[in-house]
Amino acid sequence: MLYSFSYYKPKSEIEIIETLKSFGDDAKILAGGTDLLVYMKQQIADPKVLVDIKGVPDFSKIEIDSSGNLIIGAAVTCNDVVENQYIRNHYPILATAAKTIGSYQIRNRATVVGNICNASPAADMAGALLVLDSSVIIATEKGNREIPIKQFFVGVKKTSLQQNEFVKAIRVRAEYKDAEAGYLKASRIKGHDLGTCNVALSRGKNGTVKIAIGSCNITPVLLPDFDSTNIDLANILTTAMKNIKPIDDLRGSKEYRKHLVQVFIKRLLNGKGHSH
Amino acid sequence: MAVTINDRKYSKSVSENRTLLEFLREDLYLLGVKEGCGEGECGACTVLMNGKTVNSCLVLAVEADRTVIRTIEGESKDGKLNPLQESFKKHHATQCGFCTPGVIMSATSLLERNQNPAEAEIKEAIEGNFCRCTGYRQIIDAIAEAATLLESEVKK
Repeated sequence: MLYSFSYYKPKSEIEIIETLKSFGDDAKILAGGTDLLVYMKQQIADPKVLVDIKGVPDFSKIEIDSSGNLIIGAAVTCNDVVENQYIRNHYPILATAAKTIGSYQIRNRATVVGNICNASPAADMAGALLVLDSSVIIATEKGNREIPIKQFFVGVKKTSLQQNEFVKAIRVRAEYKDAEAGYLKASRIKGHDLGTCNVALSRGKNGTVKIAIGSCNITPVLLPDFDSTNIDLANILTTAMKNIKPIDDLRGSKEYRKHLVQVFIKRLLNGKGHSH
Repeated sequence: MAVTINDRKYSKSVSENRTLLEFLREDLYLLGVKEGCGEGECGACTVLMNGKTVNSCLVLAVEADRTVIRTIEGESKDGKLNPLQESFKKHHATQCGFCTPGVIMSATSLLERNQNPAEAEIKEAIEGNFCRCTGYRQIIDAIAEAATLLESEVKK
């Protein structure tokens, strides 16, 4: 049995902020629980108060804003994304990445926003969202603020979220609707293990190639933009190698990770990894 | 909390720190729900919550308030196994039996959303269910045949 804690399920964004304010560091946001409850069982985390955000109806929605951007609410699960026809048609890389997370049961609970907030260097949604130039919508005491997702990750399991703040949604730019984008990931056991490394790549309509690499640094990393009208493979691979510092661990050596990243970049440039 | 489990309504108080798995097993004696790893890896605790498979070890009981839960206990009716369970029996898809309730709930969910699954889709549906007797071949065959049976029933 888990240790004792209190559970709150506020019905509005303001109530969530108020609950966070009254409990400070003792409180933790609960969405899908597929990371948090494991940490609590393993005593890696011991929040005294859980604030369940699934009581706010808007957070479970996948919507299009007035400018045509895609909005993914904080309680939207990975399977919601995998099964959403609009996402499959227009942002298939998100469905591809979401489908690589955990097992089917896990994807029924795990949320896209939770995957980002857990801020694992291996976070599957991070790469896909980085190459779509997404932003993170953060609820604060003074209203909402929005930051580019590349500013969100600051360390292993560390985000730029401040006290009494939480992520309420992710905005994916309409500019990247129907953009060519793909995601490739290596893992030892599909459905269970974390990835050994992963690469996401997009070709925007503005003529840029964006590449993001996971499990090779303390955070998922976005490379500087490349020119898609004049692909210089040697330069892309050199830049990628300069920007990653993989470690040796049980999932693979640093040399193996570097090799995989180069193979994945080449495959993605050749149009592989673009379906789900 | 108020919850409907296998078509029966329950109204119970439960402390916040208990999982849905503990609630089902210890309060309601639904012992078909198994605890394996307790961390969402093995799938032995798989139940349907509002029609979707979840690892009940990673769901707090309070999160199941006002939901509809299905466990293996509700799958046979009047002492008779359902077609999927019969197919498991026929194909010897149960060895030690520990993983079976979870596998059957995953397969039930698959057949409810996809009546004609390809083998790859069957494998994906049960990727979150470990069988350590390693009878996956029999399990896959059992699900495939149940799908064929259910499909022909629908056509009738």
